Amino acid sequence: MTPATLTAPKQLKTTSTATTRPGGYAGNLLRVDLTRRTCRAEPWGPEMMRELLGGVGLGAMILYRETAAKGGKGNVSWDHPDNRLVLATGPLAGLPVWGTGGLTVCTIGAGTNGPTSTQANGFFGTNLKYCGYDAIMVQGQSKDWVYLYINDDVVELRDARSLVGLDTWETQGALYKETGLAGHQLSVYSIGPAGENLVRFAAIQGDYGHVASKNGCGAVMGKKRLKAVAIVKGTKSLRAADPRGVVQAAEEIAHDLRTDASARSLYEYGTLPGVVNLSKMGALPIKNYTTNLTSNVAGADMSVWEAPKLRENFDHRGHQCNACGMHHCHMSVIRHGDQKGKIVDEPEYEGWSGCGWAIGAADRDGVAWLNTQCDRACVDVNEWGWLCGWVMECQEKGYITKEQLGFELKWGDVKGSNRLLQMVSRREGFGNILAEGVKRAAEKLGGPAKECAIYIEKGATPRGHDHRSRWEEMLDTCTSSTATMETGNPVHPTEIGQPARINPFDGEQVAKYVAGLRGRRSFEDSLGICIFTSRTRLEYICRALSAATGWAFTVDDALRFGKRTAAINRATALRCGHTGAMEYPSTRYGSTPVDGPAKGQAIRAQWEKMLDTWYAEVGFDRKTGKPLPKTLKELGLEWLARDLWGKKA
Amino acid sequence: MSVLRLHPQKCTGCLRCELACSYMQTGEFQPAKSVIRVSPFEGHTSYAPYTCTQCAEGWCMTACPVGAITINAVGAKDVLDDKCVGCKLCTIACPYGTMFYDPGTRKAFKCNLCGGAPACAEACPTAAITYEDVATADWLGDFAVERTARVLAEAR
Ligand code: SF4
Ligand code: SF4
Ligand code: SF4
Repeated sequence: MTPATLTAPKQLKTTSTATTRPGGYAGNLLRVDLTRRTCRAEPWGPEMMRELLGGVGLGAMILYRETAAKGGKGNVSWDHPDNRLVLATGPLAGLPVWGTGGLTVCTIGAGTNGPTSTQANGFFGTNLKYCGYDAIMVQGQSKDWVYLYINDDVVELRDARSLVGLDTWETQGALYKETGLAGHQLSVYSIGPAGENLVRFAAIQGDYGHVASKNGCGAVMGKKRLKAVAIVKGTKSLRAADPRGVVQAAEEIAHDLRTDASARSLYEYGTLPGVVNLSKMGALPIKNYTTNLTSNVAGADMSVWEAPKLRENFDHRGHQCNACGMHHCHMSVIRHGDQKGKIVDEPEYEGWSGCGWAIGAADRDGVAWLNTQCDRACVDVNEWGWLCGWVMECQEKGYITKEQLGFELKWGDVKGSNRLLQMVSRREGFGNILAEGVKRAAEKLGGPAKECAIYIEKGATPRGHDHRSRWEEMLDTCTSSTATMETGNPVHPTEIGQPARINPFDGEQVAKYVAGLRGRRSFEDSLGICIFTSRTRLEYICRALSAATGWAFTVDDALRFGKRTAAINRATALRCGHTGAMEYPSTRYGSTPVDGPAKGQAIRAQWEKMLDTWYAEVGFDRKTGKPLPKTLKELGLEWLARDLWGKKA
Repeated sequence: MSVLRLHPQKCTGCLRCELACSYMQTGEFQPAKSVIRVSPFEGHTSYAPYTCTQCAEGWCMTACPVGAITINAVGAKDVLDDKCVGCKLCTIACPYGTMFYDPGTRKAFKCNLCGGAPACAEACPTAAITYEDVATADWLGDFAVERTARVLAEAR
C-alpha cells in the first residue's frame, strides 16, 4: 500500500498569515479523507478562531455544518462515511498551563447516534500543535485498515493491517517500534478490538491510560478503519501574544490548585479520594445500584480505600500530561496477587467504581488490572461497570442463564469480568448482544432484565456515580446533547452568580442550578486543557486564554461561548432525531435508593417538574426541544434561529 | 559553583522543563529548541530530564576550533553566537549529547544556566531539577540501570 501523503502544505502556508494569527494557535486544520486517501492542511483565520476557539466549540460547528443528511432532513448516522470524527485541541494546548496536552473528540457517536463531546489528556494536543495543526477532521471510510502518521509536514495514511487485533497498549508499542521513537516523542491514540468490532461503547485510548471514552467514538474510528493516530512531537514553535502573561496565569492556576480547599485533594491524589468520599454520600455506585452500603461488597474494608493507602498499595510513579504538576495520573506496578508485576495505569475514581464497586469487587489489585484491560480493549469503563454489573445481577436472579452466557459470573469476579470483556470486545457468543451496550441489550432481553439496567433513553449510560444521590448529574446527563454530562459539577459556582450549595434533593433547586452552571464546561472543553486542571477560577483561565491569544476574553464571554456551543450541539442532536421523550433515566437508573445515605430520595417523583424548570431556565422549548429564537438571538446565533424556526424566528 | 542537580526518580515526564527552557532561550514555546531533554525509561513508565552537567573537562570548549565557547558569569559553558561558525565539532565532542545545533540559525547552542536563574528548575513541579552549589556528577546512571532492569524483568 502506498502511503497517501499530505497534499500541498507549502502552498497553503502562504495563505495562513502568521502575523495576524492569534497566539496559541498552530494555524491549520488537518482534513483527512479516508475514502479519497487525502490529507490536506486547511488554514483557518482569526475570526473563526475567536468564534469557535477549538475543542468542542470547533467540533460542534463541524458536526452541524458537515453531517446533515444529503438531500433532505435528518443527519447521517454514526456509521455513515460522511460522519465526521473531529480530534481537536485548543488554544492552550502546548503552552505551559498545567494539563494542556489534551484533545476533545466530537463525532456522531454509536451510543446515542447523536453528537459527542469527550475528552482525554496525555500529549496528543501538544504534539499535534507542534506539528502545526489545531485539529484533525476525519471523514470517509477506508477500504483497508490504516493509521494516520503526522510528523510536521509529513502527514501519511499508512498501512495498519499488521496492527489489527492488537490492543491499544500493544498498538502504541508496535508504533514505537515502527518509528523508532518512545515516550512522549510519539503520541498514539488508537482503538483496540472493541473499536475494530464496532462495540457501541468503544473508546479511543492514548498514551497509556488516557481515554476519550464516551458515546462509542471508538466504534466510529473502527467503522472508518482508522486504527490509530500517531503524532510525532513536532518542531514548530507556538507563540503567545503575551508569553510572560501565559506563564503568570499558569502560576496563578497552579497556586490555586495547590492551595484551594476544593482542588487540593485532587492536586494531591487525583480522583482517588472519590471512592471514600462518595461512599459517604451514597454516590458510589454499588452492585448495579442494588445497594449503597459498602458493607454489602464481600471483603470491603474502607480503611484501605483511603487515597494514600490506595496509591501506596502499588509501586507507583507520576505519569503526568503536558506541563502538569498535579499528582494525578500515575503508572502503577501491581505488587500482589495473580497479576503481580503487571504495569497498569492507576485507575481513576471511575475505574475503581466501574471495574470495582459497580460489579461488587473490592480487591484493589484485581480492579486495577481489570481497569487497564478495559483501556487496552478500548471499552468505556463506566459503561463496562453498568453492563457487567447488570449481567451479574441478571445471572443472580436467573434472567440470564449460565447457558446463555457460557459461564457463571458472580459479583466481584474480576477474572470473569475480563472474560466477558474479551467476549464483548470480539462480539463472541452472548458478547455480541452485550456489545450493543446496556440499553440495546436490555431491550433485547426485555422483561425483568430490562428493569434492572442502568441507561439513558437516548442510548448512553451515566458516568461512574450513583446519580440517585447526585440529582444534578442525572438531570445533566439526560438533558445533554452530547451523550454525557454537558454542564458538569459546580466549580467555584459563586464566581458566576450561583449559590455555593443547594439542597441536593430539591428538584426545583437542582434544575435551576444545572441550568445556571451551563456554559462553563463547553468553554473549558474548547481550550485543550484538562478537566482537572481547569478546576480553578474561570477568571484565571480567561486570563491565560487572553494572554495566549491577545483577545480580551472575560468570564461573561466564556459563559456565552459555552452556551452557544451547547445550543449548536442541541441543534445537531435534534436533527439526529433526539426528542424530549428520550430525556429520561431507565427504570433502575431513576429508581429510589433502598439503603444508605440517600435512602428513600425519589428523583422520579420530581422529574417532570425538574425538566420543566430546566427548560424554562435555559430558554429551550419544552415541546420541540429547540432553543427558543429569543435564546438563540441573545447568544448571537441568528443564523441558527433561522435554521431551526424558519420564518417564525 | 551552582549546577543543575537532577533527581530522576522524582520526574513525572510532564515536559514542563523543556517548555520553560525553550521559552527562556527563544521566547517561544517549542521543546525541540530546549537544551534540556526528558527521556523515557522502562518503555514508557518513567522519565528523566537531562542537560549539560557543566562538566569539569569542558570537552565542547576544547573541541571548538574558533574559541566560541566561553565560561559565563555563573560558570556555565556558553556559546558566543557571533563567533560560532556552526561546524558542529562541539556536538560530537560532548560525551553527554547535551550540545545542540540549530539548523535555522546555523549555530550551536547549549544550557547556559539561564544566567543564574534556571527556568527548568523553576518550572519543575516535582523538584526533580534543583539548582545547587554541589559538585557536578552523573545524576542518571544508577537510575537508568535500575529502570532498565525493571523492563527486562517485565519482559521475562
Ligand atoms: S490532572 Fe491528570 S489528566 Fe489532567 S493533565 Fe494533569 S496528569 Fe493529566
Ligand atoms: S556541553 Fe557537554 S562537553 Fe560541554 S560542558 Fe556541557 S557536558 Fe561538558
Ligand atoms: S519539569 Fe520536572 S517533572 Fe516535569 S519533565 Fe521536567 S524534570 Fe520531569
